[in-house]
Amino acid sequence: MATLLEVKELRTEFHTQDGVVHAVNGVSFTLDEGETLGLVGESGCGKSVSMLSVMRLIPMPPGKIVSGQVLFQGRDLLRVDDEEIRSVRGNKIAMVFQDPMTSLNPVLTINTQISEALELHQGMTKEQARKRSIELLQMVGIPEAERRVDDYPHQFSGGMRQRAMIAMALSCSPQLLIADEPTTALDVTIQAQIIDIVKRLKRELGMAVVWITHDLGVIAGIADRINVMYAGFIVESAHVKEIFANPLHPYTLGLLGSIPRLDAALKSKLTPIEGLPPDLIALPKGCPFYDRCHYRTERCENENPPLELGAVRHSVACWNWQDVRKLRKH
Amino acid sequence: MGTFILRRLLWLPVLLFFVSVITFALGLYGPGDPVQVMLGLHANPETVARIRQEYGLDEPFYVQYVNYVKNVLQGNFGYSLVRYRDQPVGRLIAEHLPVTVQLNLCAIVVGILIGVPLGLIAGLYRDRWIDLAVRAVVIASISLPIILLNPVLSFIFFREHIVFVPLLDRLVSIGPLLPQVAGRWEGVLSPKAILPVLIEATGVIAILTRQMRAGMIEVLSEDYIRTARAKGLRERVVIVRHAMRNALIPIVTLVGLMLGGLVAGSFLVESWFDVPGVGRIAYEALFARDYYVIMALTLLIALAYVLANLLVDLMYGFLDPRIRTMG
Ligand SMILES: Nc1ncnc2c1ncn2[C@@H]1O[C@H](COP(=O)(O)OP(=O)(O)OP(=O)(O)O)[C@@H](O)[C@H]1O
Ligand SMILES: [Mg+2]
Repeated sequence: MATLLEVKELRTEFHTQDGVVHAVNGVSFTLDEGETLGLVGESGCGKSVSMLSVMRLIPMPPGKIVSGQVLFQGRDLLRVDDEEIRSVRGNKIAMVFQDPMTSLNPVLTINTQISEALELHQGMTKEQARKRSIELLQMVGIPEAERRVDDYPHQFSGGMRQRAMIAMALSCSPQLLIADEPTTALDVTIQAQIIDIVKRLKRELGMAVVWITHDLGVIAGIADRINVMYAGFIVESAHVKEIFANPLHPYTLGLLGSIPRLDAALKSKLTPIEGLPPDLIALPKGCPFYDRCHYRTERCENENPPLELGAVRHSVACWNWQDVRKLRKH
Repeated sequence: MGTFILRRLLWLPVLLFFVSVITFALGLYGPGDPVQVMLGLHANPETVARIRQEYGLDEPFYVQYVNYVKNVLQGNFGYSLVRYRDQPVGRLIAEHLPVTVQLNLCAIVVGILIGVPLGLIAGLYRDRWIDLAVRAVVIASISLPIILLNPVLSFIFFREHIVFVPLLDRLVSIGPLLPQVAGRWEGVLSPKAILPVLIEATGVIAILTRQMRAGMIEVLSEDYIRTARAKGLRERVVIVRHAMRNALIPIVTLVGLMLGGLVAGSFLVESWFDVPGVGRIAYEALFARDYYVIMALTLLIALAYVLANLLVDLMYGFLDPRIRTMG
């Protein structure tokens, strides 16, 4: 498979009154065409900011993309002009956001909001765009789409709004869909429906997906590969089966321990990770997970481990991953 | 929507009843007496009594009130007792009200034309020098009492200013920016109206600039603006179609409520510029206890505010789809 997106050493900061928030600290990963990547980590670890940086949607100020490259189909999106990045947004890379209640404009109809991307990127007329909007709404399972297309967002339920958001994102058949926790704000049955819709459309349209979530359980059924983020770093990256079968980073181990599972024997081991992530304004010199780690050694306090290969197509940022592998089975 | 308007309109007579009873009672039982004012302090008590009787002012409160309402319902708002002696109040107001309404309307329009773009720019360039400049002007115009606005604006517009221009390396004289016009009021479209309109517009400008700036800043941080940008829309489209429409909703409310103030004239501005408006009548009537003039003006203002509120609600429903479908 050809590479679609290659992110190299991406760094994003926010200059706030309290100091510089180091939200993304040298993130590198690649994504193949048609691949689904899960981006996992606790709240505030930089998942949204790293993907918003890819689309250059960070509010500036206070945000600043300090360094790095975002190679999309060979071009560095961080260095193209405004005109060109706009021709990528919504057209080749589209994004679905976390909160469907606030992500749609309350004073514009669903039709207007889906059509504007079609008119812009595909040069459709108003009538063509409207027809296509109806088709898209049908595709994501909105009943009576011909009628509902003229509704305003407040007339839609949360699940329907997220479907409309997906319809909007897919309107120009993007090669990459970034789904930023699209199901977090929805209840469980709706969550499952939204996940099914994205899986089906991904099969039909063949796009690549980056699925952001803080819940490893959600991602298991969707992703090909998983990147685990912590404090603005990618700390582990591997195929989804490998992550579940052979986790090498103590933080990933902790995340896996906090997923509810069906088999009763494991239920007792449902434990959230103790402690809090480090302050992104004053990052420690060594490993950012040091304070919360059960496997820490002296070296971890002073040196931040780089992301390196621990197994086949499996990288991890931990000095002691070999001990983790030996010890984790107890 | 229809029932909503009807309900509001049904409340109107109730409101007017309370406003009129209270104003009437305050006029009658409050200190001061129009006849005394009319005849002077040393008037013969018998004459005072005779005139009070002539005007029916010696009747008990409810009789006077009922008579008044009866007359009003027949389109007769009574007579001026003092300053415009024996002129019908209806005609007095009909003569002076249009001038005030025109002046206020111009002030509101000027206020919108200046305030909304200023606030928009300040909001878009938040914390940059242009925003700081706009905010400084707004704060200055709010804190400057209206009494100082006249000399300050007169100074700016009617004087010659000698300025040193470094580029030319010499002194340059600018102005006067406006010709000073004396004499009679010639309507709101004459040069003489510029200053009074500007003075009355100052408050409007300040309020609208502040609201528009705050509104833009709030709206621009909304998630749906990020969604709009994620679609690849031009910044201009994001601002005009997605941000401004939302930021203008509270502006419409404010302007609608200001329309309620159209019928109330400013005494200061009207007397400075010799504007034959309703503000001066109100002022004179208040000091002379000219009951019927005060009553009519109070009812007029109450009516105007109720209608303005109704208008705001209707406009709101039109602008904000979330409210439209609820009604
Ligand atoms: N506009 C901003 N100004 C200042 N700091 C910001 C801003 N946006 C994000 N941050 C900071 O960047 C860090 C990463 O935020 P980000 O939104 O990427 O987290 P996340 O992993 O997506 O979390 P969540 O699961 O809660 O969405 C956070 O510490 C956050 O406080
Ligand atoms: Mg997020």
